[in-house]
Amino acid sequence: MKKVININFQGRVIPIEETAFETLKQYIESLRRYFANEEGKDEIINDIENRIAELFTEQLKKGDSCVTDAHVEGIIASMGRPEDFGEVEMEPTQSQKQYSQEQTYTTYTSASEAPRGALHRNDNDKILGGVCSGLAHYLRVDPTIVRILFALITLGGFGAGVLLYIILWIILPAASLTTNLKKRLFRNPEGKIIGGVCSGIAAYFNIGVWIPRLIFSLPLVLGMVTGIFHNVFNHDFDPFPNILFSGFGGTLFIAYIILWIVIPEAVTASDKLEMRGEKVDLESIKASVQGELQGVRGRAEKMGEDFKVKAQAWGEEFKNTAQAKAQSLAADAGPAARRVGSGIGHAIGVLFKAFFLFVAGIVVFALLIALMAIIFSGAAVFPLKNFLLEGFWQNFFAWGALCLFLGVPVIAGITWLVRRISGAKSSNKYLGYAFGSLWLIGLVCFILLIGSIRRSFDTRARIKDDITVVQPPTGKLTVKVADSKVKYYGGWFRGGGILTIDEDSLILNNVRLRIIKSDDSLYHSYSIRYSYGNNPAIAERNAGRIVYQIHQSDSTIYLDRGFTVSEDTRFRNQRVVVTIAVPVGKRILIDRSVDRRLSWDEINVGPRDYYYEDDDNENSSWWQSDVEYIMTPGGLERVDKDRENSNNDEDRQRVQEENQQKNEKKYKYKKDSLETKPEKKDSVKPVKTVAREEEQKNENEESENSKSGKASTSFLSPFQQLLAIGN
Amino acid sequence: MRKGVLEFCILSIIKRGEVYPSDIIDEMKKANLHILEGTLYPLLTRLKNSELLTYRWVESSSGPPRKYFSLTDKGAEFYGDLQSTWDELANAVHAITQNGQSTSSNNFNQ
Repeated sequence: MKKVININFQGRVIPIEETAFETLKQYIESLRRYFANEEGKDEIINDIENRIAELFTEQLKKGDSCVTDAHVEGIIASMGRPEDFGEVEMEPTQSQKQYSQEQTYTTYTSASEAPRGALHRNDNDKILGGVCSGLAHYLRVDPTIVRILFALITLGGFGAGVLLYIILWIILPAASLTTNLKKRLFRNPEGKIIGGVCSGIAAYFNIGVWIPRLIFSLPLVLGMVTGIFHNVFNHDFDPFPNILFSGFGGTLFIAYIILWIVIPEAVTASDKLEMRGEKVDLESIKASVQGELQGVRGRAEKMGEDFKVKAQAWGEEFKNTAQAKAQSLAADAGPAARRVGSGIGHAIGVLFKAFFLFVAGIVVFALLIALMAIIFSGAAVFPLKNFLLEGFWQNFFAWGALCLFLGVPVIAGITWLVRRISGAKSSNKYLGYAFGSLWLIGLVCFILLIGSIRRSFDTRARIKDDITVVQPPTGKLTVKVADSKVKYYGGWFRGGGILTIDEDSLILNNVRLRIIKSDDSLYHSYSIRYSYGNNPAIAERNAGRIVYQIHQSDSTIYLDRGFTVSEDTRFRNQRVVVTIAVPVGKRILIDRSVDRRLSWDEINVGPRDYYYEDDDNENSSWWQSDVEYIMTPGGLERVDKDRENSNNDEDRQRVQEENQQKNEKKYKYKKDSLETKPEKKDSVKPVKTVAREEEQKNENEESENSKSGKASTSFLSPFQQLLAIGN
Repeated sequence: MRKGVLEFCILSIIKRGEVYPSDIIDEMKKANLHILEGTLYPLLTRLKNSELLTYRWVESSSGPPRKYFSLTDKGAEFYGDLQSTWDELANAVHAITQNGQSTSSNNFNQ
């Protein structure tokens, strides 16, 4: 079944099959291109079209209802394709241009055996100046190869290629050269995904199109796979993997862009034939025509030597006609001229296209990687799930969201990639529908999950406990965080107020310390435990289950390292706020361990913010660790405040010292997290790991203490200096 | 079919009287000289542009109007030149091939 269309062809209405019309159109286009440099090309084309129209009419008169593919093929065969009459036809044109004895000789030999002649720039086939094309003609290779080499020289040699090209452009004379190759590398517009490069390469080497595609996309796929493993095993998320830019992949990416620019697109039918070498169904026609020509040519070549002289005279006569002039005019009007203009435009266009494609590719790729990362980090958060999700439905929704909402796009993406590479053209819309609906289900699950979890954080409860404080005799209170028996490590959840996760318990250090002014002359302290829940009762129960100890020894208050949330309590953003009231005129020192070991991060999942609704919140003062403060009627003040102005040098020295300490501490902190290696070589190495850790810990603490001690002596030192002077 | 020979053949066919391109093809086919129509049209146009040929339109029953080609005076003159050149060549070739029978026959078979 074929569609028949009516065309107006040379003033006749011809019913013709659509496919036949396409063939015909391409054929006439190829003729038009072939005769582009010919004077009176319109007339030639017109004559040929006329003849074809006549043949069509004859065909229709015979009783056929329309012109078919077979008719058109037959007519094209009898008229001959440009490739077929190329050898006979183009040579007069050449001989008209080339006068020398040697060059005239090319007229009498077949093109493929033609001597190379002089090195020219090729006017007929050029992107910039036709240098590459001329060079290729001289070397008898595909211009594309020369262009690629030039591009590589330019890229690798810091512009040496450009210089070379310009020199050659200036030196070499221009000439209209006809191709001396049977097969050329083209980009194939019929089988393209991006630029048709892979498809063209496949056609040139006569291999399956998936081979070059696989090669070009291999680094992408490999990168993706290694990226996943990288994510899973190293927990190290890199949203822009170095796939596109580094090593093999980058080279291929650049290579593709270069090929895109350099390789011409197979536009006309003859281009497409050249791309594949020769078409099989033309083979027989060619063979028969050429076989007969061969005999004549054989004889003609024998008489060539003698005949040449006379033919030359004959050629002279032709040359004197208007044709010589027309040649130069035709060069301007022909597609050669069009190519000059479009060459640079094409390169720029491709660069732009490549750029946008590159950006789009990066975006898509980043999205894909992000999705993967979410899935795999989801797997890593897996243990947390038990503390967050409640009941069957939440778990169900969580799994649904994970598999469908996140998994489906990834699978769809991979499917799409595979189908594109394998060149599957069949648009299976059910596949799209299936993916789409699954994803929608996933989306619904996700929304329900979010809603459900949100409901678990609906109400908040707070429990206030007073803590009795033994008044310190020195008038100075120090706050520290106690050492825990077990050392926690693992960078994943440290930041979020979550210290660590066990099989059945979650340890949070979501604790905040507030300093306020005491109403009387005594130190006071109280802690408030907060938790969320589905309803007030559950929230209160959750808050009640927080066990956070505060104890005092002498003038030091020790805070717990964190508090435990058991699996059946679940994570409901529990937190503790410890408030210490300092009377006016008394001092407080907050150890650095408070800053370091308790989390300051606020997870505001609840409908309202925590602290601002606390009525006594406005009284609380901002503090800095490791700085001694004194409570004044206006709030906390640094003890060393006065000295800042009076003793600048000393102060500067102290600041320097402090900075140094900070750096040292940072360094130590880092080392803390590397739990296995002993910190110092000369430290004693106990047998048990835990014991060693503890010892290390103590050592750290000691050094810290000594440092804070040093800090305090350093700002006491002015007094000592005064004493020293007094002495 | 090398340049010159083909033109020579075509001109000699046209010389005999007004002719339609596809008739030229047929005639050459009869003489066992196969050329493609696509080759013929540009050649005719070229010859016409060098004022060696002229044509007139003839209404046709089987399709669009046809171009019938005939020789101009200049064309006839040129044909004369071509004829003499060819004769010279043919004589020269004949003389050579007759003298060296054995080698030339080998060459022909190649």
